[in-house]
Amino acid sequence: MSEAPSRLHPLAVLVFARKRIGASLLPILVIAFTWRGGFALPVLGVVVAVGLTVLVLEWRRFTYRIESGRLVIERGVLRHTTRVVPLDRIRGVDLQAPWLHRVLGLVQVEVEAAAGGSSAAELTLAAVSAEEGERLRAALLSAGAREATDDPRPALVLYRATPRLLIAGGLTSGRYILAPLAVIGVIANFADDLPSALGDRLLSEAADRVPTEALGVSVLAAVGIFLALVLAAAGSLLTDWSFELTDDGDRLVAQRGLLTRRTVAIDRSRVRGFDLRDSPLRRAFGLVGVRVIAGGVAGGRPGRTALAPVIANDDARVLARAIDPLAAPDATLERHPRAALPRRLARAVVVPAALGVVALALQWWLPAAVLLLLGLVGVPLALDRYRQLGHRFDGNRLAVREGSLSRRWTSLDPRAVVSYAIERTPFQARSGLCTIVLHLGQGAGSRRVLDCSEEQAGALLVALDVPLFAPFVARVASAAQPA
Amino acid sequence: MILREPALQLDPRVRRLWALEWGLVAVGAAVLTAGVAAPMALADNLLGAIVVALVGGSVALILIGLAVLQPRILYRRFHYEISDLGLYVARGSLWRRWQIVPHARIQTVDTKRGPLERSLGLVSVAVTTASAKGGTDIPGLDPRVADALVEELARRAGIDEGT
Repeated sequence: MSEAPSRLHPLAVLVFARKRIGASLLPILVIAFTWRGGFALPVLGVVVAVGLTVLVLEWRRFTYRIESGRLVIERGVLRHTTRVVPLDRIRGVDLQAPWLHRVLGLVQVEVEAAAGGSSAAELTLAAVSAEEGERLRAALLSAGAREATDDPRPALVLYRATPRLLIAGGLTSGRYILAPLAVIGVIANFADDLPSALGDRLLSEAADRVPTEALGVSVLAAVGIFLALVLAAAGSLLTDWSFELTDDGDRLVAQRGLLTRRTVAIDRSRVRGFDLRDSPLRRAFGLVGVRVIAGGVAGGRPGRTALAPVIANDDARVLARAIDPLAAPDATLERHPRAALPRRLARAVVVPAALGVVALALQWWLPAAVLLLLGLVGVPLALDRYRQLGHRFDGNRLAVREGSLSRRWTSLDPRAVVSYAIERTPFQARSGLCTIVLHLGQGAGSRRVLDCSEEQAGALLVALDVPLFAPFVARVASAAQPA
Repeated sequence: MILREPALQLDPRVRRLWALEWGLVAVGAAVLTAGVAAPMALADNLLGAIVVALVGGSVALILIGLAVLQPRILYRRFHYEISDLGLYVARGSLWRRWQIVPHARIQTVDTKRGPLERSLGLVSVAVTTASAKGGTDIPGLDPRVADALVEELARRAGIDEGT
């Protein structure tokens, strides 16, 4: 397959311009408006003209083509560079449409390619037309899925986010609830940069208007909470608007976003498993989020691995089986030994409580109260963290669960494991516990079996790979024999 | 532990290598301490100089203690072995880790020789996998042992030599 070199869409010049200017727009404007001499406009004009020329040249010199099974990208105004990527090393093609692209009817194509070892190289075509983007994706990925059938199956919709679900998801997600705090932080930072007199005046005026009586304070608090909830719901709607997950047989394709529309395609052959994630709040409403574990999906960045940002529990079970028919999301897990409980308590209770006692001794009443309260809350938290620990291997899939505030249930194909490690701290050694770490490779990260007994670890490892582990295991063989 | 220990030990000279490494750090700490304390003493800040000397001195002493103890313990607690299917490495005493890398998952096998290792005539072997954290290394081997190890790992992993 060979084709003539193509250029990016001519409007890519605008996209280039926005990218270049993005960082320097403010200084340029400041210079333009504060320059006292009469040079401001001419200087600005020259800068714009030179800049535009450079950008147009950049656009002219940027070409791409698919040639004898390789993607070839040539670029560079002063220094010419050529990048060649064999199509069979391409792991994924994402189409992204930030707001400017959407206005202009363009998409940005991000090509993810395997690049030796663990790193992944990313090539970006800054702006092509939407049709060209789709065509490129099909052409670039067709080499990966060689036995692509002639009659493509109609894409099956596995999940579709309704606004109601997304609102519920935003309201129950720590990420979106806490996001407004981050915004306030940013604004506060900006306020620091404002002329101090202005900032102080605004602050004192605001302070004058803050009500001090009980009714006023509670009204203010209620308004604040209401605003935070509205913002959380809006954040969820914005990022995951009309999230849709489809399955065309070879690939899982997720589309989402209101302003920036994002498309992520994941080769089914690279799927190694998935996570079901929830929090106590989501558990109360019977909601979970589903994320894929797959090689070559940009280091498992949450934005790229989401299969369903928020989904009802029962639907998640159906979705799980559609992604991996061998997954067993309802199977009972094997619990970890009781010795794991003191470790959870030590982390959640003993540390804040000890700090609280120190604070008490130093007569720092407020920190002491907060820390002791944290220690108290830590008790049920530690109990739940212990209760959630578990794993199960049924011969096909490994299921692992851990966490409470952020609980994660993982289903994993053990054939995806690249290397195994067993880790044991002195504290674990005393209780006969250890942690198994399974490294997955190609940016899929690792998963662990936390605080299982040494016997469980041995039995699990041998079950995962009998020929590999049998020579190394000392006691399982004798334990398996009848006494 | 339920896994048996791997069979092979490192070259005994590795203890000298580790002791040298810790010793160098200790010397560095001592020099730094002297470099800070001496000008303070000259500037008539005797109290400050004494405090710095005490703190820096005890750090250096701890490092010397590590230089004496750590190599012996770690040497005794570091084992490795190659089976038909994988590389098995166990290391550490209090914080202990057992790693098993299947040959089929090994991407590269490298030998490394730092200046200290060269002066002692030792080589370390590093193995990488498709997962950045999934690799492992075996320090302080006799060059002949290391060569044989690299060759065997590369052969079993199906890697061409000289890559």
